[in-house]
Amino acid sequence: MARASLLFALALLVCGRPSRQKPAVRLRVVSLVPSVTEVIYAVGAERSLVGSTNQCDYPDAAKAVYKVGDFMDPDVERIVALGPGLVFATLPVQKRLVDKLTELKIPVYVSRPQNVEAVFREIDSVGTLLGVRARAEQLVAAMMARLESLPRHTDTPRVYVEISATPLMTAGGHTFINGLIERAGGRNVFEDALQEYPVIDAEMVAQRDPQAILLLHPDVKALDVTSRVGWSCISAVRAGRVYDDIDYDLFFRPGPRVVDGIVLLFRLLHPQGR
Amino acid sequence: MNRGRTTLIWFGLAAFLVLAAVLSVAIGPSAFSAESLRAMLALRFMRLTLGIFAGGVLALVGATLQGLLQNPLVDPFTLGVASGAALGSAVALVLGRISSAFLPLGGFVGALVAIIAVYMLARVRGRVATNGLVLAGVIMSFLFSSLVMLVMILGHRTLGEAVYMMMGYLGAVFTQRSIWVFVVAMALGLAGCVWLWSYSRQLDIVSSSEETALSLGVDTERLTLAVFVISSVLVGLVVSFTGAISFVGLVVPHLVRMMLGPAHVRVLPGSFLAGAGVLLVSDVLARNVVPGGLPLSIVTALVGVPFFIYLLRRRL
Amino acid sequence: MKAFEVSGLDFGYAAEDLFHGFNLVVEAGEFFGIIGPNGAGKSTLLRLLAGFLKPRKGRVLMLGEDIVQLPRRDIARAIGVVLQETFFTFDYTVEEVVMMGRNPHLGRFEQPRQVDRARVIEALDFVDAADLADKRINEVSSGEKQRVVLARALAQEPEMLLLDEATSHLDISHQQSIARILVRLNQQGRTIVMLSHDLNLASLYCSRVLLLNKGKQVVCDVPDRVITKEFIQSVYGVAPILTTHPVTGRPQILLPA
Repeated sequence: MARASLLFALALLVCGRPSRQKPAVRLRVVSLVPSVTEVIYAVGAERSLVGSTNQCDYPDAAKAVYKVGDFMDPDVERIVALGPGLVFATLPVQKRLVDKLTELKIPVYVSRPQNVEAVFREIDSVGTLLGVRARAEQLVAAMMARLESLPRHTDTPRVYVEISATPLMTAGGHTFINGLIERAGGRNVFEDALQEYPVIDAEMVAQRDPQAILLLHPDVKALDVTSRVGWSCISAVRAGRVYDDIDYDLFFRPGPRVVDGIVLLFRLLHPQGR
Repeated sequence: MNRGRTTLIWFGLAAFLVLAAVLSVAIGPSAFSAESLRAMLALRFMRLTLGIFAGGVLALVGATLQGLLQNPLVDPFTLGVASGAALGSAVALVLGRISSAFLPLGGFVGALVAIIAVYMLARVRGRVATNGLVLAGVIMSFLFSSLVMLVMILGHRTLGEAVYMMMGYLGAVFTQRSIWVFVVAMALGLAGCVWLWSYSRQLDIVSSSEETALSLGVDTERLTLAVFVISSVLVGLVVSFTGAISFVGLVVPHLVRMMLGPAHVRVLPGSFLAGAGVLLVSDVLARNVVPGGLPLSIVTALVGVPFFIYLLRRRL
Repeated sequence: MKAFEVSGLDFGYAAEDLFHGFNLVVEAGEFFGIIGPNGAGKSTLLRLLAGFLKPRKGRVLMLGEDIVQLPRRDIARAIGVVLQETFFTFDYTVEEVVMMGRNPHLGRFEQPRQVDRARVIEALDFVDAADLADKRINEVSSGEKQRVVLARALAQEPEMLLLDEATSHLDISHQQSIARILVRLNQQGRTIVMLSHDLNLASLYCSRVLLLNKGKQVVCDVPDRVITKEFIQSVYGVAPILTTHPVTGRPQILLPA
């Protein structure tokens, strides 16, 4: 689906240009996906951006861009009024909107990278679509280099990622964050879960005995977790390796800061360093 | 009622609860070391206590409301009280931290608002008819459930959390501090149950008609108010820890009445025992039948809904 | 001693009041009947006497005290009420039902004592229903149910009994047995106030009868002076044939063909 949209958008661009020179009219772009907004700024194509969502808040400059509504429910009319040549959206959250835009014959690029490689490919695509391919390739190369430069690690600590405490919820093996944990040299203790975000209970966590715990929600601090009744036997709690106050966007946004997230995770999981 | 038979039934109820408790503690992932065994048992014991508290209170409140409203089709869930409590808890959750005592308070307020709203909606010329109550309860339930979703979305929570708040779970985590909130809540809950139990005779009397109750010396307005407030506190407390669990309060009192007769002095404590056991068994099923577990209300609804339909048809 | 005294009563359900400045006295020990056509206000008056309703203006005194000021328990120790149709949501035994009548004498945390059980048995004996004690209330016949409800009222040990059409839907054998029980109770000294559609029944048993129409007293006197052609015709619009009961000499009505 993503590929089809991409091709369609590309075809439109290519066919729309009579010559090989830079276009006189710049492509007007609306981004409904915070991670894509970050990509657009990272590849220097922010002048094409005419609309974004309330949640598109990075970098700071993005906050000033005209808002077409909430990520969960953007306003179709506002989008159309901007006369965009291309809209970035995501599925399944924005399905109704995507259908609507397709009906109105507005080109839509569906962003849904499932892992880090897909993020690299997406940065390339966005760069191509917005005429800044070279910058995009540079960015990707830099990100890849940073990943390569991560030191060898001798161990692969077991990690428990907590998405919520009411009820206890974690991320399963088919999630983006699972891939990040792997890249950072860790192993998600719930990678075998069938669901994407399964609800679990304390016993399951205790049995899998994670060596590090990541708190990806604001409800609890590390201190609350270490003082949980029945959790004292867990290795992560005993070693005090419970991490709160993490910038979740680094893990939940499949964008240019993804490598920042991986590096951060790496440092948390392998504190011995090089 | 045959004395011997009654004693046997009480014994049976107690035994059922003990069995359910053993099951609840015995089934589950195994421990990997002696030290972790203690922790595992602590976790299971918390779950057990929560289950007994929730099942017992919901069933007892169900029996009480059925008596007060002269209606065998009501329980905290069908009256929308549980959903109201869930809404109150959701609001408290979004506003405050989860380890605070906010949650039970929010639950109580939500439950009270719900029960008053349903009662006022269903009252026609000073009388409360069955259809009116059930209808009002269903409407309120819908309304509150939708509001829970809304509040959770506005508070940037995941849908999964919202679902579990409305479908029930026994896996709440407690810190060394918040467990005291739970202990106090349980103590309050038990006190509330005993208090409701003391209204047994009046509940018996009210089950005829309002005027009969008045003529027999029952202050129906005071009774209604007292029962509503205490029930709301109890339901609010439970739901703030476990989310809204369906149909336990509906089905269990009927089973208990069939075994022990309708006198509330027996039905209320009997419902507590049976409700606790039933909920523990449902929890064991919910956790183990499907990998990844199910929300509690799915199991209780699977049993409760056919029973509800059967009851409806018997009355009509 | 006046059992009931109503003075200056104003009351109505709708915007328009039914009773305006209504007065009534029922002496202790009377067997008092209230008759009248539909909508006359008989049931409403009974409910005012029982304390179920509060007067808009005026007072209802029970044994000299304003009934609106009295706590429910105290009223229940003095007045037993038997209503027309009693519905039981749950299937209590007859004994459990009659035991409910002991409520005004029991504290909230008290369980029934020896004396309560004794009163319950006495009450059941009095209404000739002792053999029904272990039966479920929804299993007994209408007539039996009515006697059980009467027994429950008796278990309250009340000085006064209010009955609302308590026999209308029963067959004559049950009507008579209830009536006889009421007579015995009255002979014991209890005040009876009975609403009835059955003019003959009221005439036969009551010491005084109030004929009510549209919230107004038409006449309140001994049956001989109430059950007359003129009054019946003016209130009911039917010209009855009057005879006298061969045994008691009370006026009885026959319908014209």
